[in-house]
Amino acid sequence: MIPLGAYIFVSAVLFFIGCAGVLVRRNAVVILMCVELMLNAANLAFVAFSRRYGAIDERGSVFVVFVFVIAAAEVAVGLGIVLSAYRNRPVVDVDEIHAMKG
Amino acid sequence: MTFDFVEPIVFAMLSVGVIAAGAAVVLINRITAAALLMAFTFLCMAGMFVLLGAETIAAFQVLIYVGAITVLILYGVMFTKSGDRPYALFFQHQTPIAAIFVAAIAIPVLLLAFSFNAPAPPPRGGDLPGLATSVFTDFAFPFEIASVLLLAAMVGAIVLTKRDEAEGADTRRRERR
Amino acid sequence: MPIGPFGLDPVIWAPLRLVIAVGLALFLILNGALLQIYLERKIQAIIQDRLGPYHVGPFGLLQTFADALKLIAKEDVRPSATDAWFFVAAPALVFCPMLASWLVLPFAYDITGADLNIGLLYLTTLGSMTVLGIVIAGWASNNKYALVGGLRSAGQLISYEIPQILALVTVALVVGSLSMRTITASQPGPLVNVLVLPFSFLVYFIAALAETNRTPFDLPEAESELVAGWLTEYSGMRWGTMLALSEYGNVTVVCSIIVTLWFGGWQGPGVDALPLLGVVWFTLKVYAFILAFMWIRATLPRLRIDQLMSFCWKGLIPVSLLNILVVATLALAFPSSRVPIAIANWLLVVAFVAGIPFVQRRRLAALRARARATAQPVRAAS
Repeated sequence: MIPLGAYIFVSAVLFFIGCAGVLVRRNAVVILMCVELMLNAANLAFVAFSRRYGAIDERGSVFVVFVFVIAAAEVAVGLGIVLSAYRNRPVVDVDEIHAMKG
Repeated sequence: MTFDFVEPIVFAMLSVGVIAAGAAVVLINRITAAALLMAFTFLCMAGMFVLLGAETIAAFQVLIYVGAITVLILYGVMFTKSGDRPYALFFQHQTPIAAIFVAAIAIPVLLLAFSFNAPAPPPRGGDLPGLATSVFTDFAFPFEIASVLLLAAMVGAIVLTKRDEAEGADTRRRERR
Repeated sequence: MPIGPFGLDPVIWAPLRLVIAVGLALFLILNGALLQIYLERKIQAIIQDRLGPYHVGPFGLLQTFADALKLIAKEDVRPSATDAWFFVAAPALVFCPMLASWLVLPFAYDITGADLNIGLLYLTTLGSMTVLGIVIAGWASNNKYALVGGLRSAGQLISYEIPQILALVTVALVVGSLSMRTITASQPGPLVNVLVLPFSFLVYFIAALAETNRTPFDLPEAESELVAGWLTEYSGMRWGTMLALSEYGNVTVVCSIIVTLWFGGWQGPGVDALPLLGVVWFTLKVYAFILAFMWIRATLPRLRIDQLMSFCWKGLIPVSLLNILVVATLALAFPSSRVPIAIANWLLVVAFVAGIPFVQRRRLAALRARARATAQPVRAAS
């Protein structure tokens, strides 16, 4: 039986990888991917706690279903924003998209 | 003869896959490769869900992340084609500060992670009946709200990416000429 | 110590059973592809009043073997401008999900790789993974026809997945399980599910034609506009794996799903006495549907891409949502009887079939009016 701590460790590592990616990368599409990694790391923690503590009716896993919904919505809208910004000016780097800066 | 040694081996392979592919997504220069590696991370994650006995969640994971989100992101990559850039232009200015910041939070959390321990769970079957019961009883209202959110996101994405009517007519006229 | 089948320890039997299942699936896919290509040629030839292959072997039976040998012996070409890793990975990404979905197909009582309790969900999941391989193939080919073909195919597969899943939901609602074995067992004797849910079957059948890239939905490979779609740059056994093996394997999987969900799976006369007879019944039913797919291919012309998309989003998805609403309401109102669901579903079929000409006439009239309004005045030739 794998200890619960091992799952939480993997989840935390993936979360911080994603976090570093969001802070560090320039490309907007890659930043979206890193956000997905962070959401997925959270999913692993949810499922691990839910399964190992024997939650009634998989209460923890239900939140994973909601995270899936959020992730899909976020990617669709995020890519929409990136594409419409790209159509105005062909850049995808977040530090060059500053049209709304005063 | 027992097969108890299989589970740790599978877990080790999956965790190496998750962490290595996740790190490569951040570090690799080619965006298409990063998108595929992200899909690989998601697949390994689905394997972890199966190890935990949450097979429904694993199936949803593959269905939504690999089948839909990765394909969407690949679409995004193809429509915003920018050539491979030199490695110097790859990271933002705040990289050192960001790295220190992340490390400062990450190290204590990672040290704490191993301290979690649960009593041996009661043996259970799959998670399908429990999950379905929860979603359609106690969490029915959030579930409906989530569907409204999805609808809003769909409308928003369509409005954001729709070309203006005038612009479309303009290009059509140009093509005819 | 518990004894499993054939006097083996269950601990050994479980992995052995998996190995046997994979080996059997590979064997069936390879032979099925050969047989189906032959059938496809012969049936199209019969319908189009031609002879079809007849040179190699009796009735041309060995023609596909010869073709397969040719494909294997061909030089392994990779165009120099393609993306090396992705170009090689794409056929595997298309093939593996198809192979994995054979795991849960119930060939006969207890003859199945694994009876997952999420069997249906597992099958839809693997079906959605194929898209990734197709997009990658189109992208890696570095060819505009391949790229457009890949993107079209991805759009088509993602769109038609929705009515497909919605049709499966109604069956899961009525049967109350996602396990393939339970679904088969819920249709004893002649009381197959298609009598209860004909409309779900109709929707699934149409969506399945699109999912497997069969005519009239074989847009991704529309040779008159796109050369060969996302397959343009592939040749040799890579092309063989992608097209012949994966496509025909997918057709077989989809037909097996149809047979299991709506036509009683392996059940048939004499199965109780001789369980292995189930394999025969299952194969016969599956091939009946494969022949129907081929008949449709020889009969119907290809749609245009915008017609394809609008048919899915404005036609199939709304009616399948309506179907779910009706079935769920009736299942809640009459929990003990399936008769009301059956009546409502047959009414939906009648309404759908009768509604198509009506909608089509109105659509054509609108198109004609628009064409007339925007037409250029005809000038006399000078």
